[in-house]
Amino acid sequence: MSDGRTLGQLLAQRGVSRRAFLKYSSYLASLMALPPAASRAMAEGLAKAPRQSVIWLSFQECTGCTESITRAHSPTLEDLIFDFISLDYHHTLQAASGEAAEAARHEAMAANKGKYIVVVDGSVPVGAGAIYSTIAGITNQQMLEETVKDAFAVVAVGTCAAFGGIPHARPNPTNAMPIRRLVKDKPVINISGCPPIPEAMAGTLAHVLAFGNVPELDSHGRPLAFFGDSIHDRCYRRPFYDKGQFAESFDDDGARKGWCLYKLGCKGPVTYNACATLKWNGGVSFPIQSGHGCLGCSEPHFWDMGGFYKPVSAPSDEVGPLAAIAVAGGAAAGVAAGLVHRAAKVKAKAAHTTVTVDDLEKTS
Amino acid sequence: MDPLEHAALSGTDEAAMAAKAEDSPLAMALLREISAALADYLETGETAVIDLKSLPMLDADRDALADLLGEGEVTATLNVAGESEVRETGYAGVWWVRHFGADRKLAAEQIEITAVPEILLAHRDDIAAAADRLAASLKTDPPEPMTTLDRDTHHV
Repeated sequence: MSDGRTLGQLLAQRGVSRRAFLKYSSYLASLMALPPAASRAMAEGLAKAPRQSVIWLSFQECTGCTESITRAHSPTLEDLIFDFISLDYHHTLQAASGEAAEAARHEAMAANKGKYIVVVDGSVPVGAGAIYSTIAGITNQQMLEETVKDAFAVVAVGTCAAFGGIPHARPNPTNAMPIRRLVKDKPVINISGCPPIPEAMAGTLAHVLAFGNVPELDSHGRPLAFFGDSIHDRCYRRPFYDKGQFAESFDDDGARKGWCLYKLGCKGPVTYNACATLKWNGGVSFPIQSGHGCLGCSEPHFWDMGGFYKPVSAPSDEVGPLAAIAVAGGAAAGVAAGLVHRAAKVKAKAAHTTVTVDDLEKTS
Repeated sequence: MDPLEHAALSGTDEAAMAAKAEDSPLAMALLREISAALADYLETGETAVIDLKSLPMLDADRDALADLLGEGEVTATLNVAGESEVRETGYAGVWWVRHFGADRKLAAEQIEITAVPEILLAHRDDIAAAADRLAASLKTDPPEPMTTLDRDTHHV
């Protein structure tokens, strides 16, 4: 809870120096492809910000998103985000339960009116009077409306909150809705993924705290810093795609040689996320590196893309260098592109439209 | 690199660099960028930071760049939310900065072009807090020893 003191003052008492703010900002600036010089402004912004009240609402979800963000931290650099926020309400993590828990939510809303951030994981069922999911005697829809009313911004974490996700998959029995369909008068930032990359959640929250605004978003409301490139564009197996070298089954020679998994249904070309660069479990690996194609979990309707093992565009026998250009939208990964100033690249990406499965089928 | 070896090399800098250029075009490209930034810094005082982590660098590129830049006079280890390392390269004003997170995992890696990287400087707010603390401790008799505060408790 904010008591008028800045994060710099609060954390100084616990032995966290301003050097730690600078170091954390350098780390985030690098993750978010901000110009390196921006890290100083970010450090100053964070040190001058009050501790951010966060109310976390969990609706139709599996708690995987919470698992992901809490796994992000170990008692050093990466966990500083937990010092910057005051998590005033979170079903799974808070000690209080029942009426005391709801009282904590109302207290945080009143004390930080217009300033708190609402994080939502899970979709909201609106079918049959929204009765498919209720908490504390009210429907998820009611709780969302009530909590978002005085919020500064809403962050929809995970594909369920961002796009409906698995509850929204056909035939969508509960009429599950993404948060953006229900919250119209507040900025909603989508951090999709099943689960989202922990650094994307922490980085986005830190951006909002440090700069007091919403980061640049793509057409699906996702921060461009983490969702500006497709998995395919940044994939280390991309050169095999460009050369037309594909694994045809999971145990053939191509698979053993680490060739491109496109023909095995990899959704990398139509999936925008940072898995190929940030990776998972502290940078250990990501699905393609482990030999399986991308499922496309950070895209709308990923569960209904027609099968995880079906290639994303129909003419699978014509895949080659020409198709590479069509699919990837012309953005070449590699040394030359890597040397282009990344901030400029992110800006350029903003002008691009996202390639979807539907688009590919139209052109094929 | 020891100074004698460096002196011996400087006579054949061009030949050595040409050999390195074949090994790692990326390292050579970075060296040109660093050279331009260093010239800018001299002329305008504007510092620059190159984020190495955002580049598609292989270990061989990193080694080639480290060889090309050499070692300078200063190496500093910081204990700030995990370890950090600041090394001056063989070119004054060009610094290699590495920040580590949990388990000494590399969190950020940068080349800084500046007189001294900012993270080495004590922030004015920290100095002000230190001055207050020191003054307060002199009022008590005897002064209390400084303790490291435990950062492991998290507020949820």
